[in-house]
Amino acid sequence: MKSFLARRLLSGVVLVFVISTLTFVLMRMTGTDVARNIAGVTASSAQVAEKKTELGLDRPVFSQYLDWLGGALQGDLGRSWFSGDPVTATLTDKLPVTLSIVLGGLLLSAVVSVLLGVAAAVRGGVLDRVVQVVAVIGFALPSFLVALILAFFVGVKWGLLPATGYTTFAESPGAWAQSVILPSLSLAVGAIAATAQQVRGSMLDILAKDYIRTLRSRGLSNRSLLLKHALRNAAPAALTVLGLQFIGLVGGAVVVEKVFGLAGIGSTANVAAGQGDVPLLMGVVVVMVTLVVVVNLLLDVAQGWLNPKVRVG
Amino acid sequence: MRRVLIGAGVVAVLVGTAACSGGAATGGGSGSRTLTLAPLVPAQPWDLKDAGLGNNTQYYQPVYDSLLRLDTEAEPKANLATEWSYDSTNTVLTLKLRDGVKFTDGTTLDAAAVKANLEHNKTGSQEAAGQLKGIKSVATEGTDTVRITLAAPDPSFVANLGSVAGMIASPKAIEAGTLKSTPVGSGPYTLDKSATTGGSVYTFVRNKDYWNIKAFPFDKIVLKPLNDPTAVLNALRSGQVDGALITTPKNVAAAKSGGLNILKYAPGDVAGVYIWDRGGKISPPLGKLKVRQAINYAFDRTELIKSVYQGDGQATAQVFNPTSTAYDTALNEKYPYDPAKAKALLAEAGYPKGFKVDIPDLSAIFPEAQAAMVQQLADVGITAKLVTVPPGEVINQLLAGKFAMSYMSLASFHSWDTVQIQIGKDTTWNIFKNQDPTVTKLINTAQHSTGAEQDTAFKELDTHLVDQAWNAPWAVVENSYAYSKKVKVVPQAFTPVPGIYNFTPAN
Repeated sequence: MKSFLARRLLSGVVLVFVISTLTFVLMRMTGTDVARNIAGVTASSAQVAEKKTELGLDRPVFSQYLDWLGGALQGDLGRSWFSGDPVTATLTDKLPVTLSIVLGGLLLSAVVSVLLGVAAAVRGGVLDRVVQVVAVIGFALPSFLVALILAFFVGVKWGLLPATGYTTFAESPGAWAQSVILPSLSLAVGAIAATAQQVRGSMLDILAKDYIRTLRSRGLSNRSLLLKHALRNAAPAALTVLGLQFIGLVGGAVVVEKVFGLAGIGSTANVAAGQGDVPLLMGVVVVMVTLVVVVNLLLDVAQGWLNPKVRVG
Repeated sequence: MRRVLIGAGVVAVLVGTAACSGGAATGGGSGSRTLTLAPLVPAQPWDLKDAGLGNNTQYYQPVYDSLLRLDTEAEPKANLATEWSYDSTNTVLTLKLRDGVKFTDGTTLDAAAVKANLEHNKTGSQEAAGQLKGIKSVATEGTDTVRITLAAPDPSFVANLGSVAGMIASPKAIEAGTLKSTPVGSGPYTLDKSATTGGSVYTFVRNKDYWNIKAFPFDKIVLKPLNDPTAVLNALRSGQVDGALITTPKNVAAAKSGGLNILKYAPGDVAGVYIWDRGGKISPPLGKLKVRQAINYAFDRTELIKSVYQGDGQATAQVFNPTSTAYDTALNEKYPYDPAKAKALLAEAGYPKGFKVDIPDLSAIFPEAQAAMVQQLADVGITAKLVTVPPGEVINQLLAGKFAMSYMSLASFHSWDTVQIQIGKDTTWNIFKNQDPTVTKLINTAQHSTGAEQDTAFKELDTHLVDQAWNAPWAVVENSYAYSKKVKVVPQAFTPVPGIYNFTPAN
């Protein structure tokens, strides 16, 4: 298990490095005159030149990158070119918002999809068909549309939950939960649809296996059969799908944060990319890729725990 | 599986609890003594040298007080400065300061503090600093008198001291270099950092030592930046914010039906087609007067106001603000919608089949306006070839002179501001630095005169620019500001959003 984790960890580090390098190169290749954007429309050419020097933009791209990398390895992601705030401080402010809705979305999709998938596979009949139809609809609905519908009906019309904004957990755990439910749900709908189908399929496969029949013939209770044997063997496939869905959730967060007026990593990435704020965007990219790597690693651990064969794979 | 079921149970309980208690919290965003607004943009750095104007002003107003205060008609009134006067050359402005004002760090407001601020802020390169660029020197006389010497007369300078350019921060904080992240002023409120999250929510609590506390009835100001039109509407309709600008005209009806009041006012922006290359440098046809006049005849301004601005605007053919001394209503009759005349003028100018011109694709920012412009130009034979430009690069590329013309909305306040923004030879939006002897002469007269003589010079300048078809403006646009029934608000001339002192509780 240790070497399995070490291999996964190493490939994660390589992924973070490759993606951050590519992002840096692409950002610097756009030819945007960031110094003028930062200096302001009334800036003289001398002030623009001064800004360029201050930001180190007059130096070769490679040396700028090495500087950034050196800092990043020591935990210093630099300062935003526009606000002047340390990138790590900005990310510390924004990350909890995105993590709350993305992990909330992941948790919701894991729970609901397992319940739906298992129910559809075991009960079959009308329930199965209903779950399948619901899954197809859920898969077809883009998260921004779900977000718009939820914000309007649940937030504005019925006033059950906040239509916009985020409350920190420290300020009020109750208000925090309220502020993340609708965005999490908006993100989760697509993932639930995809994962429920996967769980259903795997469960049907497993339930048709000989050993299940053998166990059943020995008089094992239905509950024990389902939970201890079938679901445990069906789970790895579902976890794989969930891991892939997580990447989708992170991407979906950009739009969902916009609809719910949440100042998270997604909206920060949007603004930073639009302005050409390289340090801020690099910080966002590193954090998000790391997050994806970590969550996938955790899912791998869960897979390994559920299925020992994976550990030697 | 048990764990999964427990997880599901926890989520269900959480959803249930939240659903039961949701109403109270969502509605509780702003009590009667708290004003919660949603500006379009997050706060800029707090150092006034890096300050912007327009939508940014609501962040600076709570913490910083200004030398003068603009009334709702944008006329300067006494504030930190109680008296002011120019010398006979209109280049030396003497200000007398209010006694007994203190910054929140305990420093006293005196002439030296004002000098330190003006000298510091003019070194910046954002919009507020741009209004201070004309300062040659600042001298103090005793502790309560400041003498500002300008390089040349600036008819807008006094009014600018009533906005962000005239705001004063603690000189101690300027010297310490801490202003960028922590504002220290003498304003009616202070930033409550413990209840502030950058980019998301900014909370200001009362400065109990403020000298004019009765002018600010709210105990707390909360600013929650929101830039998505749907998020703005949802926040307003669910009572999470008390006021926000509606940037999408079609959302105005939705706001009204949601029980909100709508305040309509002209913030001082003139929108339409700006002809940057009127010298014909990169697009030779635009160098010809008849072509520029043809462009003016090509637009059906009345129809454009209906379709592009949903009726929220006033047709104009001038770049000057209707409330400014330069504006002349009669000039709007100069170019009625007449595509046949436009075609005839193009033929007379040597372009019977029209011509092609590159235009930045602004469909991401002004979709309706751009579509209308392209269509009406095409109707008279002018082909607008759309060039893709990343939204963050539009201003840069325009200012770099890459386009001969485009749709744009530019600020237009007092007559002199318009000259300073787009007509003077070296001004930001006179991109190709066009000038002719009449323009130069009239600017010069207006700058060095006052009263009736100055008004006449501005009017002649406006007439000349319309005659010469420097641009093809369409409309003085109107803003729609939605606000809850819990507050009252009065509009402020020449600003995109009302100042925080324009709000009072409804009860």
